[in-house]
Amino acid sequence: MLELKDLYFSVAGRNIIDGLSYTFERGKFYAITGPNGSGKTTLAKLIMGINLASAGSIGFLGKEISSLSITERAREGIAYSFQQPARFKGITFRDLLAMAAGTDDEGMLLALLRRVGICSLSFLDNPVDAKLSGGEIKKIELATTIARNPKLAIYDEPDTGIDLWTIQPMVRLLKREQKEHGTTTVVVSHNRAFLEAADIVLMISEGKLVYRGDLEGALPMLNDLTVCNYRKCVGGKDVGCYR
Amino acid sequence: MLDAIDKDLLKKVADLEGLPKGAFNIRKNGKLLQREVSANINIESSADGSGIVVTIKPGTINESVHIPVILSQAGLYDVVYNNFIIGEGADVTIIAGCGIHCGGLEPEGHAGIHEFRVGKGAKVKYVEKHYASGPGRGRRTLNPTTKVLLEAGATAAMELTQIGGVDEANRANEAVLGPDSLLLITERVLTEGNQKAVSANTITLAGAGSRANMISRSVIKGDSEQDFYATMEALAPCFGHIECDAIIMDNGRNETVPSLKVRHPDAALTHEASIGKIASDQLMKLMSLGLTYEEAVNRIIQGFLK
Repeated sequence: MLELKDLYFSVAGRNIIDGLSYTFERGKFYAITGPNGSGKTTLAKLIMGINLASAGSIGFLGKEISSLSITERAREGIAYSFQQPARFKGITFRDLLAMAAGTDDEGMLLALLRRVGICSLSFLDNPVDAKLSGGEIKKIELATTIARNPKLAIYDEPDTGIDLWTIQPMVRLLKREQKEHGTTTVVVSHNRAFLEAADIVLMISEGKLVYRGDLEGALPMLNDLTVCNYRKCVGGKDVGCYR
Repeated sequence: MLDAIDKDLLKKVADLEGLPKGAFNIRKNGKLLQREVSANINIESSADGSGIVVTIKPGTINESVHIPVILSQAGLYDVVYNNFIIGEGADVTIIAGCGIHCGGLEPEGHAGIHEFRVGKGAKVKYVEKHYASGPGRGRRTLNPTTKVLLEAGATAAMELTQIGGVDEANRANEAVLGPDSLLLITERVLTEGNQKAVSANTITLAGAGSRANMISRSVIKGDSEQDFYATMEALAPCFGHIECDAIIMDNGRNETVPSLKVRHPDAALTHEASIGKIASDQLMKLMSLGLTYEEAVNRIIQGFLK
């Protein structure tokens, strides 16, 4: 359903995404992982149109979308959950949810709250501003993504700022969305809980796809990353890493 | 009688669909159009005829008074001095506002000088909207001044809004706070084209335990200009905060100067200011929800000025 072909994204002569090709299948749950600075978030942003590809193509449900705006991609059925969600002055959770769902019908908004597991009604009229905690704003971000009823949902590090006890319910929520609504799900994460939930793990290093498959196959590489996860060691300048 | 233009202006500045309930005083083109008093709220013309005196009896609870001004006479610059005396323990809402309709080339303007004395333990909510419209090219000027004196334990919440069409505005707010009093001011101003607005504010926290919070929200479009000056002076143990945010669009210009003067060692004054274009992460978020760029901008500004 999503086909990336020879995708490049370059800044100041450096390829952040370096000739990446991959085809995502409809209804599958993907986890994208890799070292810091490897290009995971950049790739997610290229798919949503937040960054525009320097070269290559992005096909979505058979349509070339690489030149479409964020708005147009959203209307095609792609939704995006930001790692650092925007904070507003004077816009409430209700406002965002209504924009996402395309309705301000109270009954439908309440059904959405139930669907994403937010029980507190008072939360609905909270301003989405700097006073919200990191966890609260991530829940709002997730809810607005799901409220789009997307064909493809991209979550960039959804567990940032979320307490340990909320991660498993969040994983279950995204899995339920995948199962019940057939949502193709792409989660950028370092968190093992999301990697375990994924049908397919994709690992990116220096802008290239270096692994695709199940978590078991990825473990040796992931364990290797626990030694040093900041790109590749650079010869004499590193601190003596065995790689 | 209210004509169609009057009704439109009243709707815009005072949310009125005709004559209000309770006490009110409607001024049109520099003259009294209609007045109504209530058992607890008296309105009378001041001795020199330059404005009105609104007296609210002590203990008056949950009552409101509307005092809108409408202007549609070419070449008129209407100046009015209004006094509000709010009795001890009262809890009332005052809805003011001025609407100008300009149909020709001649300028029109209004200066409303409003003085409030809020008695001990009394609470007042003051809502003031300014708006100008009409096909004429005459310059529309609105120069409001509010002066507030809060006695011990009094509260004033003031919402001051200029919602569009005003070519020139010199806005001034002054307040002196007594012990344990609370002042909340929220000022929202939108300018566009070649409009210019200046807001000058002086808040003196004179009494121990007094608190003040001034919030300014500006949207500056086209080639317009807005300047914001706020001085907060603390003479006693107190708390004060100034928050000024401006969204700049097109070629808008802004000068913001918050000034904090602490004259007592146990006073705490803070300020935060943010001036610039709409943050790109806000635009991207709303566009990712399916809004176009223009829709996203409008929605953000609508919320910002809400």
